Amino acid sequence: MAEVGSHDYDYVEAGTIDLKDLPPLDATTNKIMKDEFTTGLGLSIFYFILIFSIPVMNWFAPAFAFKKIWGGMTVTWFVTTIVMMAMAFIIAYVHTAMYEKRLKQYDIANK
Amino acid sequence: MMEALLEPKMLMTIALMGTIVYITYLTKRNATASDFFVGGRSFGWFTNGSAIGGDYLSAATFLGIAGLTFQLGYDGAYYAFCFSIGLTLLAIFVAGPLRRFGAFTVADFLGYRFHSRRARLVAVAVVLAISGFYAAPQLLGAAQILSMFFGTSYEFGIIFTCVVMIFYVGIGGMKGTTINQALELWIRLGAFIVMLIAAVYGGLHYDKILAAIHSFSGPITGTSPYALDGNDINFDGAAWTGTGFYFPTFWQTISMTIGLALGTIGLPHILLRFYTNPSAKAARKSALMAIGIASAFFLLAVYLGVVGRSIFISGTASEEVMRDLVLGGNNMVIPTTALALGGKWLLGLVIAGAFAAIFSNLSGLFITSSGALAHDLYANIMKKDITQKQRVIAGKVAIVLLGILYGALGLLVKDASIGHLVALAFTVAASTFTPIFILGIWWRGMTEKGAIAGLLIGLGVSMWMIFLPGTLPSFLQFKIPGIVTVPVGFLSVIIVSLIDRKVPADVNDFMKRVHSKESETV
Repeated sequence: MAEVGSHDYDYVEAGTIDLKDLPPLDATTNKIMKDEFTTGLGLSIFYFILIFSIPVMNWFAPAFAFKKIWGGMTVTWFVTTIVMMAMAFIIAYVHTAMYEKRLKQYDIANK
Repeated sequence: MMEALLEPKMLMTIALMGTIVYITYLTKRNATASDFFVGGRSFGWFTNGSAIGGDYLSAATFLGIAGLTFQLGYDGAYYAFCFSIGLTLLAIFVAGPLRRFGAFTVADFLGYRFHSRRARLVAVAVVLAISGFYAAPQLLGAAQILSMFFGTSYEFGIIFTCVVMIFYVGIGGMKGTTINQALELWIRLGAFIVMLIAAVYGGLHYDKILAAIHSFSGPITGTSPYALDGNDINFDGAAWTGTGFYFPTFWQTISMTIGLALGTIGLPHILLRFYTNPSAKAARKSALMAIGIASAFFLLAVYLGVVGRSIFISGTASEEVMRDLVLGGNNMVIPTTALALGGKWLLGLVIAGAFAAIFSNLSGLFITSSGALAHDLYANIMKKDITQKQRVIAGKVAIVLLGILYGALGLLVKDASIGHLVALAFTVAASTFTPIFILGIWWRGMTEKGAIAGLLIGLGVSMWMIFLPGTLPSFLQFKIPGIVTVPVGFLSVIIVSLIDRKVPADVNDFMKRVHSKESETV
């Protein structure tokens, strides 16, 4: 069974259409895109809040950021170099798990 | 002669080279363009995840991150944090759709999204610019290692590495490159884990060494014989563990965060890897695996940079170690720390790991750029009616030309910092391909003119802010100018597309293709 997108393309002159005349997407693709984008955007916003909280903490709350919590390890050193490394994986894992869950729901709905 | 050959660093480097030659020989059959450029789309998530990790964790990670942490303290470690963000964003927004789209190269995406040769041509230019930015520091790392540990000249190091890459990629194509990259990833991860064990066994616990560095202030004993002014080098541990050591303002930090976080989505050699998976599901799993590996790697790299600094200020390191840490610059911190921690055998393993990092990343850049030249420029624009065999030959010729081009670039960056140069490549990618891929996959209103404008303006503004910062007012001078260049890239695409409004007539089919479910395979 060949996967979508597994074959070569040929150059095709498709022409253009004004954006206002563009027909809407079919309902299935529209739903998939909307679900996927909403999930991705939500996770990204959460992730970026965490990301930007680090420089904000360093520059506007240095007493807390550079407080030692474990030997010479400061709060910001711990969060920046250890917690956020794990967070990169956790966010991606949650996204993949949610995607696979949605995929099963689509399959059940189709059946 | 025999004694030199039996040195651990020589033995392990020869073993690595032998493995590369063997794998390249086994994978030399590349009958079709699909075999050569995307490895026949045959790699599962484990191999491809390892290869993505291998591609992403270049010399900038293996040598550069620890070096930046050693030199800049917290601000250096902050680079690692920023580099760690991008793969996650790529997995969320781009990995699955890109694989469903298929094709061979990054420029294919523009070529087929807009049915446009002009867009493809501009994309080729941007691919070459980003790859050049990225390749030069990898060659710098290789030449510095060869120079420092094998006594060769810088120029010889550049030429030698280019010749190895021409052989490695030219014969093996994407198949050989992927298997080599996957193997090389585990070599360098193994080297880091052995260094971690040696450091912890030697009592260099993270909390203790950070405390020792923080409380250190004054001249570092044993550095005067190698310092330019003949005096011991001064060091302020409190400033090193704080912020503002390198990025003097809040906005400089934010600018770097934006540039590096969004850069990965636009790196052509990383994007290309998602074409080599058999399915979109495998592409997502590959990305997930690569993120796990990369996160562990960044964590270890920062720790080892701290270990290097702790050894440097301890006053107990050997003369050889002190000399190498002063004269080798921040790019050589990992090999020198390995020597201090585990002697010649650990140094040998780390040198093999460093070469693995350099070869792995360079091979990805070579295959990506050869695709841009041979597939996009030659086969799709200049001479369309060529056979599969001719396309493979064109790819191989492109690799030789790229070897010469990258070699010349490598000669120009002799005194630069690997980590910082790669950070600049990320910024260019974040300002050019990142807006194109995110908007191209998720927004039907993007037009051909919008895409071309975004690429050209994003590239132009990035180059201007990186190379000519003196021509800008002081509030626009950033070490990593992502805070300006990334919004400029996105806004250029959006504004020009909204003015133009002429979207491809088949954009709905394109969206259906890239967002269709895995179960809708044909």
